[in-house]
Amino acid sequence: MVEAGTLEKGDVRVSIENAESREIIIKSKLERIYGNAIRKTVEEMTEGVKAKVLVEDMGALDWVLRARIESAIRKFRGEGE
Amino acid sequence: MKLRRTRLYVPGNNPHLIENVGLYGADCVILDLEDSVPLDQKFDARILVKYALKNVDFGKSEKWVRINGIDTPFWKEDIEEVLPYVDVVNIPKVEDYGDIEAISSVMSEIEDRNGLDERKIVPIVETLRGLINAREIAKHPRVIAMAWGGEDLTAELGIPKKKALILDHVRAEIVISAKAHGKMALDTVYGNVRDEEGLFEYARRARYMGFDGIGVIHPNQIEIVHRAFRPDDREIEEAKRIVEAAEKAMEEGKGVISLDGRMIDKPVLERAKKILAYAEVD
Repeated sequence: MVEAGTLEKGDVRVSIENAESREIIIKSKLERIYGNAIRKTVEEMTEGVKAKVLVEDMGALDWVLRARIESAIRKFRGEGE
Repeated sequence: MKLRRTRLYVPGNNPHLIENVGLYGADCVILDLEDSVPLDQKFDARILVKYALKNVDFGKSEKWVRINGIDTPFWKEDIEEVLPYVDVVNIPKVEDYGDIEAISSVMSEIEDRNGLDERKIVPIVETLRGLINAREIAKHPRVIAMAWGGEDLTAELGIPKKKALILDHVRAEIVISAKAHGKMALDTVYGNVRDEEGLFEYARRARYMGFDGIGVIHPNQIEIVHRAFRPDDREIEEAKRIVEAAEKAMEEGKGVISLDGRMIDKPVLERAKKILAYAEVD
């Protein structure tokens, strides 16, 4: 499993681990308001990634979420070791 | 004239601190990938900084990134990731012209590949070796300003930084190195964020030492530093008269500028223009 980001205010932690097919789990205190937007970004950026993607949101803006997803995917593919 | 009175350091691994950087009015914002980022967050931080540069509104602030030093395994990847989105690359612990040249050639390669304009460099001199080579370092065409840091330098000498008398010499050397090549000179930070009076005096002293700005570590320091770098009314009045005299001489086709019976040399005119630039902002 790889992780990117933190659980600090304004951040988001994205964890990716091997799976048969893509599975996205989103945990956010603001899920009712931003859940769909978060899911849309995660789906768009993890297209073709066969993995379980856990997103723990601490109120991150979209650019922060995108940065953390890119980090996690690149680590999942072997970068940053 | 681009002012660099304040450059605000912001940790490159903290999105919450980064998101409002454009609101504070610093002349430059430095997203830091070096000292404020732990080793295990270097990878995440450089990607976060890339997205911040692309998405965050920096307002009027120039976009800087402090990369990791040339003595680390991180600096090339830092540059590769952020260069297309940055105005200035801030390089710690630069020791000689060769350091700048090595980094500059990596930058050129990325710029050529991406069709980018030439990005600028501000080196930070932090060692005795860097200091004796500062006059060479400042010559590099990418270098727009010289900065310095005293921690490593005073450690090398085995003296406490707060009591190090030699730092006035270091400051003078940085100013001389920069100014001799027409570059800006930037003083280091004032660490006590609660001491407003001390900060004002520190910034005033930096100005009269010949520096163009200082580093800041808290948004509350920005306005105080800008005030300290503002010329006083007498300086402004004198500068206006000099610039007016120069304009009049030009209109009349005179090669020599004179004011109150004395000749005004080019450096004096340049100083007057700089004073007006510092006075007219904010």
